[in-house]
Amino acid sequence: MKNTIEVNELKKYYGDVKAVDGITFSVDEGEIFGMLGPNGAGKTTTIETVIGLIERTSGDISVLGMEPDTDLPTIKRKIGVQLQNPSLFPRLTVKETLELFASFYPEPLDVKEAANQVDIEEAFNTSVESLSGGQKHRLAVALSLVSNGKIIFLDEPTTGLDPKARRDLWDTITNLQKRDITVFLTTHYMDEAEKLCDHLVIIDMGKIIARGSPDQLINKYFPRRAIEFTDPGLDREEREELAKLNFKGDLSFDEGDNRVILYSENVAETFDELFDFTQNIDKPLNDVSVRTATLDDVFLKLTGRGIEEDE
Amino acid sequence: MSRLRIFRRMFLANVKEFYRDRSSLFWMIAFPLIFTFIFGLVFSGGDQITYSIGISTEEPTPVTERLIEEFEDISTFTVTTGNLEEELDALKDGNRRMVLELPAITTDDVRNRVTSDVKFYYSKGEGETNRALISAIKEIFTGIERGITGDSPLFRLEASPLETRELTQFDYVMPGILAMALMQLGLFGVFQFMNLRENKVIRGLAVTPLPRDTLFESEVALRLLVAIVQTFLIVVVGRLVFGVELVGNLLLLAGLVFLGAATFVSMGYMLASFTRSLEGGRNLIQTVQFPMMFLSGIFFPIEIMPDYIRPVVRAIPLTYLGDALRQVMVGFPPQYSLQTNVLVLTGWLIFSAILAIRYWKWE
Repeated sequence: MKNTIEVNELKKYYGDVKAVDGITFSVDEGEIFGMLGPNGAGKTTTIETVIGLIERTSGDISVLGMEPDTDLPTIKRKIGVQLQNPSLFPRLTVKETLELFASFYPEPLDVKEAANQVDIEEAFNTSVESLSGGQKHRLAVALSLVSNGKIIFLDEPTTGLDPKARRDLWDTITNLQKRDITVFLTTHYMDEAEKLCDHLVIIDMGKIIARGSPDQLINKYFPRRAIEFTDPGLDREEREELAKLNFKGDLSFDEGDNRVILYSENVAETFDELFDFTQNIDKPLNDVSVRTATLDDVFLKLTGRGIEEDE
Repeated sequence: MSRLRIFRRMFLANVKEFYRDRSSLFWMIAFPLIFTFIFGLVFSGGDQITYSIGISTEEPTPVTERLIEEFEDISTFTVTTGNLEEELDALKDGNRRMVLELPAITTDDVRNRVTSDVKFYYSKGEGETNRALISAIKEIFTGIERGITGDSPLFRLEASPLETRELTQFDYVMPGILAMALMQLGLFGVFQFMNLRENKVIRGLAVTPLPRDTLFESEVALRLLVAIVQTFLIVVVGRLVFGVELVGNLLLLAGLVFLGAATFVSMGYMLASFTRSLEGGRNLIQTVQFPMMFLSGIFFPIEIMPDYIRPVVRAIPLTYLGDALRQVMVGFPPQYSLQTNVLVLTGWLIFSAILAIRYWKWE
């Protein structure tokens, strides 16, 4: 069975800038697939080339077994797309906008239903220009849902939403799976990627640096717990000393947040050793926390930066 | 989701978007109306437009004297008599619209039905003829002829638009206001579209199955609809408030309005496609529209402009639209034939459409 989306060695260059530099992945029918990465990594460019909005420099793309080069109109009828910073006709109401978009598709979702799914029914008759930022964003998602497409593309769907709205939208997205709809989303929130995605790729500077399910990724790189504390001003020697200690794990320095992170399978033992170490060098051990590793840790390990740092 | 259905939906969305925008509404509709009112108040009941005719005779005879009297009685003409050379000089200087040379017609000639040759001299400068004037004058002669041969003391003159109604300056200007409104509609209407482009609305629609052409078509359809509404308002106001009557046929007028609107919409897109930014486009269009307004004869007749301007005047599409509308709406003597006007406008339409298609950028 051919995959719902197949992308092979996709490249998009803007002159010397390599926005997307050779990425390959595929998406199965009915799964929620995520592309996780910081801003500027190439996520939006990827979506835009896959749906045919912009022309790619090279590479193969197949969506629902069709190619954007030759079958774009047909593809468009079978997918729904939510772009970031959507712009709409300011003086139409939410209802009128939904109805307008619905008219483009062969079997659209009922507009009330679409509005319900993103929680903007109360603004049904409000003009677009009077909506709050969050409402506009949710409308953009609704417009992608109204297509009743087999694949829904979402570009950073929960950016700018408050925590409750975010969770509601997560529910909506997970519910799409019940109707055998495939979801392709991009995000820079690792909790979102962890919570929603069946499979994901981590992208940075135009290249994929890791792929797999959230669990696979975490287990692959961090089968351990993370112990964090604030860097008490360790100098190079001290850092080397710390690294030499037998922690049976890895050591990371998150420069952006000024934290030191140790990964260990035996938390109690590590803690003892850490305590001794800091006593010996006479520097404090502050703001200690112990947690399970997350995708952010994966990213940090692979690139030396946190995902959120680049904002 | 047939193409037609989608078009209708887009068209309705465009219409709603348009009439809910107060400033657009103002400019498109109130502006020409205000102009109409102002010009109407200033010009209606004002001086009648007259034509200066020179008449020279080989030798004055009772017949020619009576002929000259008849011409003098017609309020549209200001008659000067004199010798041929002087009159022709005056014609060359632009002080006469036409010069008539009458032979020495005697009463016997009339009785014996001898055909007399009357020469018309008119300025052929631009290659156009003042056909309506000439035909009006021919009518006058026919009337006089019938009067004479029928021995009737009354000179029956055939009714023609030129003669039954006094044409005021407002009659001249009103069709020009409509022409100007159509021009503004076309040229500035493209900004609506450019705004959509700048604001990425077009991008938002590009991810949907909406065909790009349908988006464009619905925009143009909106412009044409507004053109009809403007025409209707200007004609109604002109009629109800200022008594300006439409003499031409409504279908012809509608056709002209569509052609004019389409031509300027096309020109608007052409000009906009030459620039990248909203500001640049606005500047270019304003630079183009002001000279067009004043040099196209819609406010002042072309006659009063110096010769070296005339080629520019002839190049401007607004000149032809104004002339055609004047002919059809109020029966004003045309500068060009209706066919010429339609041909030139269509030519501009095609030319600007080709350039617009070639250079328009969707992003």
